[in-house]
Amino acid sequence: MFRRKRSADDFRAEIEAHLALEADDLKREGLSEDEAHWKARREFGNVRAAQERFYMRGRWIGLDKLLRDLRFGLRSLGQSPGFAATAILTLALGIGANTAVFSVMNAVLLRSLPVEHPDRLVYLRTSDQPRGTGTIDTTETFSYAVYDALRQPGRGLSPVMAYVPLSSTKVAVRYGAQPEEAEGDMVSGTFFSGLGVNLPLGRGFSEQDEKDHAPIAVISYNYWTRRFARSPQVMGTTLYVNAVPMTIVGVAAEGFEGVEPGGSTDFWIPLQDRRELNAWGNPPDEGKLYMAHSTWWCLRMIGRLAPGVTRTQALAELQPVFQTAAYVGLSGSPQQGEKPAVLSLADAKSFPGYDQQYGNPLRMLMAMVGLVLLIALANVAMLLTARNATRQREFSLRLALGAGRGELFLQLLVESSILVTAGGALAWGFAELATRLLGQWAQIESSLAPDSTVLLLTLAVLVVAALLFSLAPLRVALAGGAELALKTSAATSNADAGKSRTGRIVVALQMTMCVVLLVGAGLLVRTLRNLENTPLGLRVDGLVVFGVKPSVPSIPQGVAFYVNLMNKLRVLPGVESVTIMEERLGSWWSDNSDMVVDGRLPDVANGASRTVRSNVAGPDFFRTLGVPVLAGRDFADSDTAASPHVGIVNEQFAQRFLPNVNPLGHTIGPYNVPYTMTIVGVVKDHKYRSIDEEPIPMAWYMYAQIPYLGPMHVEMRVHGEPLAILPAARKAVQQLDPNLPLIRPMTQRAQFDTTISHQILFARLAGFFGFLAVVLVATGLYGTLAYRVSMRTAEIGVRMAVGARREQVVWMILKDSLLLTAAGVAMGVPLAMLVGHALTSSLYGVRPLDAVTYLLAVVGVAAVALAASAVPAGRAASVDPMKALRTE
Amino acid sequence: MATQENNDDRIALLQGTLDLLILKTLVLGPCHGQGVARSIQHQSEELFLVDHGSLYVALQRLEDKKWISGKWGVSENNRKARFYSLTPRGREQLVEKTGEWRRLARAMALILDSGTGLKGEEA
Repeated sequence: MFRRKRSADDFRAEIEAHLALEADDLKREGLSEDEAHWKARREFGNVRAAQERFYMRGRWIGLDKLLRDLRFGLRSLGQSPGFAATAILTLALGIGANTAVFSVMNAVLLRSLPVEHPDRLVYLRTSDQPRGTGTIDTTETFSYAVYDALRQPGRGLSPVMAYVPLSSTKVAVRYGAQPEEAEGDMVSGTFFSGLGVNLPLGRGFSEQDEKDHAPIAVISYNYWTRRFARSPQVMGTTLYVNAVPMTIVGVAAEGFEGVEPGGSTDFWIPLQDRRELNAWGNPPDEGKLYMAHSTWWCLRMIGRLAPGVTRTQALAELQPVFQTAAYVGLSGSPQQGEKPAVLSLADAKSFPGYDQQYGNPLRMLMAMVGLVLLIALANVAMLLTARNATRQREFSLRLALGAGRGELFLQLLVESSILVTAGGALAWGFAELATRLLGQWAQIESSLAPDSTVLLLTLAVLVVAALLFSLAPLRVALAGGAELALKTSAATSNADAGKSRTGRIVVALQMTMCVVLLVGAGLLVRTLRNLENTPLGLRVDGLVVFGVKPSVPSIPQGVAFYVNLMNKLRVLPGVESVTIMEERLGSWWSDNSDMVVDGRLPDVANGASRTVRSNVAGPDFFRTLGVPVLAGRDFADSDTAASPHVGIVNEQFAQRFLPNVNPLGHTIGPYNVPYTMTIVGVVKDHKYRSIDEEPIPMAWYMYAQIPYLGPMHVEMRVHGEPLAILPAARKAVQQLDPNLPLIRPMTQRAQFDTTISHQILFARLAGFFGFLAVVLVATGLYGTLAYRVSMRTAEIGVRMAVGARREQVVWMILKDSLLLTAAGVAMGVPLAMLVGHALTSSLYGVRPLDAVTYLLAVVGVAAVALAASAVPAGRAASVDPMKALRTE
Repeated sequence: MATQENNDDRIALLQGTLDLLILKTLVLGPCHGQGVARSIQHQSEELFLVDHGSLYVALQRLEDKKWISGKWGVSENNRKARFYSLTPRGREQLVEKTGEWRRLARAMALILDSGTGLKGEEA
């Protein structure tokens, strides 16, 4: 009863049995053996029809036909495995690259924050922060005084939320016995409720928590998973943040990783007011923490528009409040000639900071892979057309026998679907891998996994591809019409296909896209070369850098610690010199402010900026870095708190603020702070924040003389392999304080390279996609040409039979592809110029119209075209006229 | 192709009848296809010419519906054959279909007999 459906063989056996039984009966009725068999069969009627009907019973006929088409398609693809593999691989690369880049773009630029009504959220931004303020970011950060004024109820935003990291990198945490690092933010009490973040476990913060500076923490879902294996037992336990105990009270919704630009936050605590937990991990500035420090603009803010309030209305209500609060602790209003600070509100729908960082490169990559996809699709379409053109007679015959166009289309659709499905599956796997790699290289921490949007786009591409691949060959297949079946000679029946104008146009367009891609990739690769070879202005080889974060109960004790440390490190074998600095070179960080020269803000010519970048340095600073001192001297051990305050400036500083005078001996100091120092040295300009920056005026303070001391970075110049010194250095540090780790130890070269890691990544990817495009175009061109030559074999045979020489035949074929190349280049170069123009902001040291790049791209395309034509041309020339004519 | 389509039409028309005849034949006991064909032909006084192909398709259809069940066995003259027997469900169907057919035949007769003067010929 429950066995599987009866097989057709079983049914046939039954019919055979019937025929035998019938014959037996007929014999019994007196017929001869032969007659009986014959009659039994005749009476049965059409055996085959019965079998067919048995087969068809209970089936959906359309599906059956589809299965048959499918099997036929598989068989016919199986007969040309080279073609199938090329097509599938081409598709997988083209579609996979698109899926990968799109899923990164989707995750980074298009996806909304996982909060309630993200479209009602706004970031608060400002222009022109008041003079005399210290900032983290010139447009995105605000003072606590501003936050406190804006968050008062009834001002259009309800609520206004402030958030600030506990450290510029990671903050020391301890859970149980193990000290580790994590990314933590201090946030408003309204943070979770205002954003509308769900807490699957526990609770968020309240305004009371903020007021009380409650020692509680909410951890991110990701951190909960990564660090605590999603144990619910974590609730109520203690997380020590910079040794301050915090009770874990909640876990934030999955996917919510804070609103820090480009980062993912591991835990949040309410805004605190204690030394150990100052904003950005800074030590108190003149004894003041961030809450009391109205000129330190260090908080980021995000707000939710109150119900029924538009952005314009909210801004109108907030602006006057902001403009008063902005000058608290300053003169109360903008100084003469100073532009007032203006508040603005920016979209906070998507993930913060990514657009800035990755927006342009990603859009550019998307455009590149889009072109690669077009080339890939065109390739496969052409390959399919070529392949199916050879089946033109088959199609014609079927048309002649009464097959409908619909049926032919269905069969082609099935065949193309097989290719597309295989290619798509491969592409998905490829994309998953590529996405993971991309995320790793670009150091994007939020989840990049392809989601349903990505899947939908990929499916859409696949469907379009499948349709394209069945329609393109259908045109050729139908072009012959039913009467083609009657023509007998290949010379007549295939000549049209061999000269297909569409094919030529497609090849030329592919060349165009290839030129564009090559120029784009070329410009980016040259940019990378330039960046890598940029002189830094310092002898970077042999330098190793690491951070130390000692506890500094008082400034003299801190200075003593660093003096001790440097003395210990200097005597290590292989060490040439040692110094310390506050901001690590090549880490994107810089301290920017206005500076007073000889008691007043300097006049600057031509409206140049007055901003000075400053750093705090130790003795032997420039000698250790290998930066030439042009005039005066380096910092020395003899510069102490008791000796006169000294400072050093760079060439830019001297040229801009002290033109045409000897800068040595002039006094300078930060604006609005009672500290002055005498310039004792001028050093050569060098790279400071990153590799691709232009030099700007700089000044260095001597660390032992300023009223401020915190964590520092140690720079060592050593002989031999720089990293080999680290174990000895670690031992030296731990002799002073056994609890101190070396923070992010690396070579100075590696540190600088991090500032161009995005350019490196995108240039490599662009180079890869350019290369991919070339390979695809080459295979496409080769396939098309080879096919066209084979179509023209008879024609070539005739030509040679009537006296054409080999060279003439070769030239005939080559001329064809050269013409196509010329057309492609003619279209590609202007397009590439547009692309180059769009890339301008991503380029370094190379103009968007760089002639060498264009020349290389054109030569590259031409070389590919020639290489792809050489084989078919050679084959054409070796055609034996007699054989060619006899193939018919 | 064209002939086959006509065949299909005829099957569709006769389907109910053939099914009923098969069920009726099997009520007497298990039988193979050829036996069923012979029996129908014989009992209808050779009036029905059973299309053997259609018969086997119909047998399979009935088996798929679980009205009859088929099993390979050996015929009286020692030939391998597939024997069909009625299932309880088939028995119910037979009763139901017979009733249906009777009503149909009666209705047909009523219409065809209603005073057009052709009465005599058929009778």
